[in-house]
Amino acid sequence: MTAWIKRQRLSPLWLLLLPALGLLTAILLIPLAQSFVRSIGESAWTSQHYENLFTDGVTLTVLWRTAWISAVVTVVTLACGYPYAYLMTRVGPRMRGLLLVLVLIPFWTSVMARNFAWILILQRDGPVDDFFGVVFYGTATGVTIAMSQVLLPFMVLPLYSALSGIDRRLLLAARGLGSHPVKAFWKVYWPLSRGGVVAGVILVFTLALGFYVTPALLGSPQQSLVAQLLAQRTTQLLDFAGAGALGMVVLVVTLVLVAWANRVGGKVSSLGIVPTTSAKEEE
Amino acid sequence: MATKRTLGIISTIVSASLLAACGGGSGGSDNTKADGQLTFVAYGGDGQKTMEEVWQKPYMEKNSDISFVNTSPTDVAQVKAQVEAGQVKWDIIATAPAAAEQNCGTLFEPLEITGVDPEDVVDQAIGKCYTGNFINATPMAYRTEAFPDPDKAPKTIEDFFDLEKFPGNRGMITNLQNGILEYPLLADGVAPDDLYPLDMDRTLEKLETIRDVTTFAPNVGALQQAVGSGQVDIFTLSDSRIKPLLEDGVDITVVWDVTVTSINGFAVPKGSPEKKNAEEFMAWVLGPEASANISEAHGTAPISKVAKPNLSEEAKKVEVYGPVNTGETVLQNIDWYAKNFNEVTTELQNWLAG
Repeated sequence: MTAWIKRQRLSPLWLLLLPALGLLTAILLIPLAQSFVRSIGESAWTSQHYENLFTDGVTLTVLWRTAWISAVVTVVTLACGYPYAYLMTRVGPRMRGLLLVLVLIPFWTSVMARNFAWILILQRDGPVDDFFGVVFYGTATGVTIAMSQVLLPFMVLPLYSALSGIDRRLLLAARGLGSHPVKAFWKVYWPLSRGGVVAGVILVFTLALGFYVTPALLGSPQQSLVAQLLAQRTTQLLDFAGAGALGMVVLVVTLVLVAWANRVGGKVSSLGIVPTTSAKEEE
Repeated sequence: MATKRTLGIISTIVSASLLAACGGGSGGSDNTKADGQLTFVAYGGDGQKTMEEVWQKPYMEKNSDISFVNTSPTDVAQVKAQVEAGQVKWDIIATAPAAAEQNCGTLFEPLEITGVDPEDVVDQAIGKCYTGNFINATPMAYRTEAFPDPDKAPKTIEDFFDLEKFPGNRGMITNLQNGILEYPLLADGVAPDDLYPLDMDRTLEKLETIRDVTTFAPNVGALQQAVGSGQVDIFTLSDSRIKPLLEDGVDITVVWDVTVTSINGFAVPKGSPEKKNAEEFMAWVLGPEASANISEAHGTAPISKVAKPNLSEEAKKVEVYGPVNTGETVLQNIDWYAKNFNEVTTELQNWLAG
């Protein structure tokens, strides 16, 4: 072990990772491996459970619906979160504190409380119905609205972290060299913020893919998302193998998307944290 | 240096306790389990509180060597996980009888119930791997506000599916025990005696006609909430959930045309060390005292034919086998559901999600 560490030129400090690794192995990696083994047949290899996903006529529909709603939620949270995070970097410390608390209060509130509040707001004879004459409770739109609110902090926080690290003098320099403010933003500020955008987008999109409580409470079986399908296969049909296969597909899709987003957006190291110069040098 | 040492100590402690948790933790609790201590699993909430009150308490008074540990919610997938891992923690679980029969001998213990005269309990009350505990009716009903004129209010199950004469939001529970597959057929003219085997294509075709105006609630609580807040106008909802709504002052008219009823039951997970004690408790629940207790509390129908419950005003309004019911009743066929559960669940869920 020690020899191996020396060969890898790793400091013994890496041993500090052991508890986290142990925990991850026990509660994530081993169950995940078991689930995968089940999905390909425990005694004899079979691709049946995977084939079923594509031929049962409903899994693909639900996967597509889930991806679509997650994408819409991501766009909505980005559209709301980016200006908000930008504003946070431009105001005084007291105002910034207030804006931060405003984002965090829903974050600290129980998910159940938030979802039940949305039921009251969106249901028949609720305020939205009274005002606009439309009932979103039980619809995909209602689910999208509530999910966007629940996931907004996951967009704002990494964005703020990235935006606050951008040196605004660069914008001044661009302006000083004759650039139009919009162009200065687009050419200088936006590229520098891309790490935060990618971090927020990945966080929100992947969390949305696995959302269960909000669609279960605010949606309807007609608008099932993939987590509901998983729950039903596990708890009602006891089809652990089929549920495992579905889970694996979702996991792979998520990983592929994350990898792709990282390529597009630059380094992973910007996942919520703006890389410092020294961190970059070490790489 | 001091910090390093502290961290080292912490990580050692954490990894040691982790190893303990993974390795021997679960085995240990089995050894410490007291003999006669039954882990009782039901659906949680007020329903389970009532069970503690009207079943466990009087039973413990009679049997001082028995005690209960309550947990929830009941979940057959959890039973499967416990049985497969060889770590069965649950002794009695409230479940749909069909689920127990479907997995009889694999996930649930075959039972030997003694001291109960089959004549004294309703049909299908004792199965190979389950015993009944009460009967749920899921009558059709409407919010009286939505149809204030009795002459123009829905009167038959056909009316539930007649959107032209009776516009309004529908509500149904997707749980198979609540008649979602039976009512469409009954409305389509199938006689109650000819229901089984259920014609799934015909059921789904009929459901399709009300799909756009129907809230398909994934559980009874969700539909109860929807009725209470006026989200749905006509619905099929469990008697045990209509009763509290009536008590809360929600104005509901029950339509006694043809009503689907189903037996709720208990089962013992395979490998429970308390099987014998569980069976004795389950036999007692089949008796008149326990039956009357739960009917009085929930407004459900008793599993014992000799029970004499003293029902409240509200409970009498949903008393499916009482004088208030001027129509017919259909008791769900547990055998058919046990054989076809996975298939019809998949078909219904696919229809819903598709």
